[in-house]
Amino acid sequence: MGLSSFTSVILALSALQGPGTRLTYRVRVIEPASVAPRILASGAVSGPLDSDMRLTLRTDTAEVEAFFQVAPTVGDTVSLTGEFYMRRLVGRSRRGLPLWEEDTYRRLVRLAWSDTARIYPFGTGKRGGPRALWVELILEREFAGGEARPEEAFDLVDSTRDFRLEAVVRPRRARVILNLVRGDTVSAPRPMDLTPGEPPRLVQLVLKGRATTLVVSLTRPDPARSARDRALALDADIVCLHVARPDVPLGTICGRLNNVARQLPLPTGDTLAATFAWPGWR
Amino acid sequence: MTGADTSHQQWLVQIDAELDGELSLVERAALAKHLATCAHCAGARASHLEVRVALARSAGNPHAFVVPRPSIRAGTLALWVVLALAAGLLGGWFADRRWGGPGGGATLEESRGTIVVH
Repeated sequence: MGLSSFTSVILALSALQGPGTRLTYRVRVIEPASVAPRILASGAVSGPLDSDMRLTLRTDTAEVEAFFQVAPTVGDTVSLTGEFYMRRLVGRSRRGLPLWEEDTYRRLVRLAWSDTARIYPFGTGKRGGPRALWVELILEREFAGGEARPEEAFDLVDSTRDFRLEAVVRPRRARVILNLVRGDTVSAPRPMDLTPGEPPRLVQLVLKGRATTLVVSLTRPDPARSARDRALALDADIVCLHVARPDVPLGTICGRLNNVARQLPLPTGDTLAATFAWPGWR
Repeated sequence: MTGADTSHQQWLVQIDAELDGELSLVERAALAKHLATCAHCAGARASHLEVRVALARSAGNPHAFVVPRPSIRAGTLALWVVLALAAGLLGGWFADRRWGGPGGGATLEESRGTIVVH
């Protein structure tokens, strides 16, 4: 890579990742009609520049789940990546049960900001089937004053349809609350803000006057085993807490940031309860 | 049907049996006596004989004494059975590739989602 192109990439990255920039995915689900196309649903997902969007469309015979990400490019353009996970009803078995075929694929396009991308989730329907439904997607960016909180809004005009729109944000930090539990005795909660990948931290918990020192660190989980989970980033809000004594590892607790306590038995007879939650917005 | 017609039909059956060599000497004598007096039956016998000559010719043996019976050889029959089975299998395989099985119809790429930038 030449110096000029390297510099331009750095400039593009810094421009896109600079503070106070907000990304919006504006979406309309449209069905062709004889007179004029009919809008079935509309909505928007917005948030920090690393916000992704998950779109789900279901009919009686097909399901499409798509995960969209934007990546910075040089100039006034952006790369839109769509990971598609599709299930189609292809018939029935001899015992009368439905047979589905599953398909995973990726689409990548480059477009200018505020351009309209038309997504045909069920194919373009060249053979005249009822598959010509499309999704219009417009990517917008705007400069915001502070940290951009993710938001999603979705208006389903036709309630007989099964469409969903979700914002997907990977946590940069996680609020972890630790307790030691033995029988009906619980230590004082020890809240911590941890960042995935940062160096391990020492934490001391006191239960019945006895102090227990643990080394904790936060990581992202291993890649999901199923193709669907990987394609749709269903583990985006999962973090793993590695727990150790200063000299020996004790175990790992993985979970979503959903305020549910997860437990890890310790060799001392105590149980470590860890609760993961989204941190407060700064 | 009159009694004369019934009798005539019976003589035609006798002519057929005579040409097949199935009549006794007494029956053949009675038939010959009748043919000498019945021009219609004599004509019918000549027609029957001409038909048999034509059949013998078509069977490739015009000088046969009796009409050769059609015969099917085991090898020929087996060959035709094998050919019919092969044609059926080939047609079934082609139809299955073209139209059969779940998910037939559009190609995989046609059924996949696409993104078009406007």
